Amino acid sequence: MNVLQLEGLTKSFGDFTAVDGLSLSIREGEIFGLLGPNGAGKSTAIHMIAGLIPASKGEIRLLDRNIARNGRFAKSNIGFVPQEIAIYEDMTAYENVHFFAGLYGLRGAELKSRTEEALAFAGLDDKHKSFPRNFSGGMKRRLNIACAIAHRPKLIMMDEPTVGIDPQSRSYILNSVRKLNEMGCTIIYTSHYMEEVEELCTRIAIMDHGKMIAEGTKAQLKSIITDRKTLMIELKSAERLNEEKLRGIAGVRAVALDVEGSAVRVESDAEVNNLNRVLQCIMESGMEIRSVDERQPSLETVFLTLTGRSLRDD
Amino acid sequence: MNVWRIAMKELMTSRDPAMLIFMLATPVLLILILGSVLSGNFNGKEAVGTVRVLYSASGDEAAKEHWESWIGRSIDETGGLEGTERGDREIIVKGIAFDEAKMGEQAAIDEVKNGGYIGYATIGDEGIRYYGNDRIGAENAIVQGLLSAYADHRKLSLVLPEAAGAAEGAASSGEHFETRMLQAPPKPNAIDYYSVAVTTMIIMYISMTAGLLIENERVRHTANRLLVAPVTKAEIFAGKITGSLLLHLFFVILIVLLSKYMYGADWGDNPVMVLLVLASQIVFAISLGLGSSYMLGSKASGAVIMTIIQLAALFGGSYFQNVDNGDFFSKLTRLSPLDWTNDGLLSVIYGGVESPIGGMSAEYAAILLNMGFSVLFLAAAIGIMRRKEGL
Ligand SMILES: Nc1ncnc2c1ncn2[C@@H]1O[C@H](COP(=O)(O)OP(=O)(O)OP(=O)(O)O)[C@@H](O)[C@H]1O
Ligand SMILES: [Mg+2]
Repeated sequence: MNVLQLEGLTKSFGDFTAVDGLSLSIREGEIFGLLGPNGAGKSTAIHMIAGLIPASKGEIRLLDRNIARNGRFAKSNIGFVPQEIAIYEDMTAYENVHFFAGLYGLRGAELKSRTEEALAFAGLDDKHKSFPRNFSGGMKRRLNIACAIAHRPKLIMMDEPTVGIDPQSRSYILNSVRKLNEMGCTIIYTSHYMEEVEELCTRIAIMDHGKMIAEGTKAQLKSIITDRKTLMIELKSAERLNEEKLRGIAGVRAVALDVEGSAVRVESDAEVNNLNRVLQCIMESGMEIRSVDERQPSLETVFLTLTGRSLRDD
Repeated sequence: MNVWRIAMKELMTSRDPAMLIFMLATPVLLILILGSVLSGNFNGKEAVGTVRVLYSASGDEAAKEHWESWIGRSIDETGGLEGTERGDREIIVKGIAFDEAKMGEQAAIDEVKNGGYIGYATIGDEGIRYYGNDRIGAENAIVQGLLSAYADHRKLSLVLPEAAGAAEGAASSGEHFETRMLQAPPKPNAIDYYSVAVTTMIIMYISMTAGLLIENERVRHTANRLLVAPVTKAEIFAGKITGSLLLHLFFVILIVLLSKYMYGADWGDNPVMVLLVLASQIVFAISLGLGSSYMLGSKASGAVIMTIIQLAALFGGSYFQNVDNGDFFSKLTRLSPLDWTNDGLLSVIYGGVESPIGGMSAEYAAILLNMGFSVLFLAAAIGIMRRKEGL
């Protein structure tokens, strides 16, 4: 059964089209990744599904019902984890979850047990009476999630739930997404962290400039680019890296710095042998190479190939 | 139900002890300061300066002349007659002026009730009759002494007044000096007045924070979280307003109780009506803040609201009690929302306040005006909010 179905979903802000004709179906039990760089239109798409903003064009069907005509039904069945942390810092963790869950019609003993359950799920068992103003970024993120799941929605949409947190909280959150999924929730997960999406999602859509440019399982997406190879070159320091010069080498299609900024990813045509020239170019700039690794194409490669740009510009 | 939840949430997010103390300390101190510094402007319970007595002398001309020469100089055309220091018994009275009443008996009695004169004496062949304002004890005793001396002088038999407040129609068979104490409308002293005026002024300041009621949800990003839940914008709105009303009502009740028990301020004996008028003003302030923040945007609205509050306080009698003398300035004061609320409260507590709406007492007029404007402001805010995305 399709939990969610989008047909030609479009949102314009004046002349600017933030989401442009998005069509896709998400089946029950999927963890669906929405991948795209800053400003791709991920949040805008999710906001339309959550009923925060009306669509300019197109249709959204949740559990086979048009949300424009079944707003209350749709809202009750969706859990929305906003990109920005949205909690009351002057209410305790318990009061926050209790309040939001209460808005979904939970009452009395059930409300209490669901609140406790959501807090436990977010690893905030011992923080019931604590105020979030004293929380770390990771704990706030987890509370942000707890507030969206206590009413046991069929569809949970998480908008970049791991931005700016420590690795421990991140892996906690990724694990809890899996657990939610095992418990029967369908999940839409947006991110511009490719590794996360690659690790977590059963199916992925890649968005850029409001349009969906590719969609499928990891394997399907990677099969788009059998004609590519990826070199991962780890450097002591990439400060003196001349990306332009690298791009000028025959066969090189794209160059991107890795997150930590000390590794460079070079995408090349599969049939051109340019390894020597790439390494020479780097050594000529006086940089010390730590390791060289030829990789299977990743989603980053897919994205680079399709858009000519890196997923992240931060 | 959702409205109630959101209202309770509003209370929970407002339990900052520092704010609580500030919100209480400011008005309580202000009442004390204004009440003691400006007490000279009030002649409510303790009369100061010259007191004026009305009289009318009837009967034959000789009797009238006798009286007038006895009390002092001859009457000039304007009717004023200042002071008397003569008399057979050397009664010296300073600071009391006798004016001849030319307005008729009932009007003269009304003057006394309204506090314009402390008493009204009729001197006739049948004797002397005196109507005194029962709130002005000391001066009345002097006037009564004076009149009884004159009665002696005229060899009219005299019976001294019974206890103050002697009922109208007291036994007077064969007695020729009769005193009736009139129930004058009570007037506030400085502390009484500023307890009312400062409380209503503080309520006006609520509109500053009310403009931020919705803005705060946007800043915390919780506006989106509220909107994705199955609640309507109207419920969110109503919940926020209810919460804010309850919170501020609680503070206002505390201020009233503190001023009553710490300073002995007079809040009258109809607490329910006082509360209703105050609650209607809180609703007015919240609606003003919300309405203008939607109409003008929250930044511009802050400045506009601040100006409105300052003007309303200045013209609405928060620092100086308004005196209605029909000139331009006193007409201007009628436009201040504080003026009609202050009048409403003074009317509940003391009575005798002219209502801005005919056929309706000042307290009901205040409630009606406050709620009427609230409906307008809120309708504007809701109209704008429904059309925009988000809150
Ligand atoms: N209310 C709005 N008015 C005008 N433009 C908007 C509005 N909301 C979003 N946009 C624009 O739409 C585009 C898509 O924004 P959106 O937030 O959906 O991107 P995103 O994919 O979520 O990006 P990020 O990864 O930065 O969160 C952006 O260019 C943004 O500036
Ligand atoms: Mg976004």
